[in-house]
Amino acid sequence: MGIDSVGTSDVEAVRRVLDGDTEAYATLVARYRDRLARYAVHMLGNREDAEEALQDAFVRAYRSLERCDDAARFGAWLYGILVNRCRTTGARAARRGRVFVRDEAALNGVAHSSVAEQTEGEDVVRWALARLTPEYREAFLLKHVEDLEYDEMARLTGAGVSALKMRVKRAREQLQMILREAERV
Amino acid sequence: MFEPDEELIGRVVRQLRQPVTLDAGLDARVMAQIASLPARRSGGAARAAWRWLIAPRTVRLSPLGALAIAAVFAAVVLWRPDRATRPGRGRPASGSASDFGFVVVAPRAATVALVGDFNDWDAGRTPMRRVRQDESVWTAVIPLTPGRYRYGFLVDGVRWLADPAAPAARDDEFGTPSSVVTVGGS
Amino acid sequence: MTLLVAATLVALQAAAQGPDRRLARLDSLTRPTVAALIDSARAAALPTEPLVQRALEGATKRAAPDRIVAAVRRLASDLGQARDALGATASPPELEAAAAALRAGAPPATLTALRRVRRESLTVPLAVLTDLVGSGVPVDSAAVAVLSLAAKARDADLVEFRRAVERDIALGAPPASATAAAAAFAAGAVDVNAGAKQQRPGRP
Repeated sequence: MGIDSVGTSDVEAVRRVLDGDTEAYATLVARYRDRLARYAVHMLGNREDAEEALQDAFVRAYRSLERCDDAARFGAWLYGILVNRCRTTGARAARRGRVFVRDEAALNGVAHSSVAEQTEGEDVVRWALARLTPEYREAFLLKHVEDLEYDEMARLTGAGVSALKMRVKRAREQLQMILREAERV
Repeated sequence: MFEPDEELIGRVVRQLRQPVTLDAGLDARVMAQIASLPARRSGGAARAAWRWLIAPRTVRLSPLGALAIAAVFAAVVLWRPDRATRPGRGRPASGSASDFGFVVVAPRAATVALVGDFNDWDAGRTPMRRVRQDESVWTAVIPLTPGRYRYGFLVDGVRWLADPAAPAARDDEFGTPSSVVTVGGS
Repeated sequence: MTLLVAATLVALQAAAQGPDRRLARLDSLTRPTVAALIDSARAAALPTEPLVQRALEGATKRAAPDRIVAAVRRLASDLGQARDALGATASPPELEAAAAALRAGAPPATLTALRRVRRESLTVPLAVLTDLVGSGVPVDSAAVAVLSLAAKARDADLVEFRRAVERDIALGAPPASATAAAAAFAAGAVDVNAGAKQQRPGRP
């Protein structure tokens, strides 16, 4: 996670916020909003949940800013909070029976069309992603879309590197299977 | 017609890497929520409390291992060392003792006690205290010498809770949940 | 010479003081039997404190007398077996950890093997073994993994290993393979960092 050094750096902004300048936090929010949005939208499958997770993550990061030991790594630290929030939000959404339904029959019925409505672009890819086991999806996104190194991923997720490699591998296998099925239909 | 596997995944990844923009109103909502929080006091005292908490020599947290459980504690628990409870001793200190902090979330409890092998299972000896007035997080700090300790949290004097963040005591003998903490060193 | 006499007198006095006062919390049905069990354990040079605590736990939880007695008896037996497996030089914390491991299903041979491969205290490796079994790892997988690490890993490495396994299990990995994978990873980490591994503050 590189640091945007246009204008106020992260280190500078964090220092200001800790000294009481709340408004300086807006710089960080604006800076990281879209970068985190991509992960959240793909992980959760729809914008509404992603916005909720993002807002939650930003507020938590603000409240526990003292815990960010190294302000130069604020982005990575914030990322870790978001990954956690997505897990919680995802679990809640699943209980509400909204987006990610692993049951194939349900997905072929009503649920499929609502997923398609809420997302944009290539429905098939989003739909395939939605059918992955959450921890595999998480690992796949962090590795292949967000380009994190495995040790960084280990720090964010709390899983061991070998476990993460296995999850990414399984994610790829599952995706291939799902997409080939889709092509046959 | 089958695309080779690598190309298939590559196509997926390329699409997923497209930038995603969320409603810029998100910024305003975040800042509004932050503005409603109590004013941040000067960073110094809070950071000093946190540094004390993580200093390896003085306090070690109880087995806060499971990440799923750690998500409960994502909101920071700022801990004032001068207000930490100093309960009476359970076992005589034979090896060197280190402080261990125990944490549990019990939103509707009126009282919570830490009870275990380290305080003779005396429910009155180590009352836990709320970290902040309206919070549901309870804590206690006690010195432990090397050994293996079964324990639980007694809520309102009647209900036993295991520590969700600790290994479960496998041999639960008395029909209530217990946890285990092991302190190494001898 | 005077010191030796004084020490002996103190020891005799302690023995003469009778049973642990804390046992007064037990009811009149339970107290004598438990006291007798504790005396036998003391005579066999087994640690008695864990037995006292087990009885007190039962008392606090208002368990039936026969349940308390059974629990104390079981623990005393486990401690004896632990001492047989680990030898007379085992410390009380090691014996307690070993007793729990045996109760969890670890074969005595595993304990003996651990004693052979590791010079430092066995308290943490045994605890990790027990905790893993409690998390659903088959005892054989847990034993193999802990044995493979016990020779070189420090206590902190073993705890980290256990936490890694538990996290992976919580996220859906099959316990046995999570254990093997984490052990392989930990073995690599131990080798690389042998010597100056930074202990992360706050998390033993």
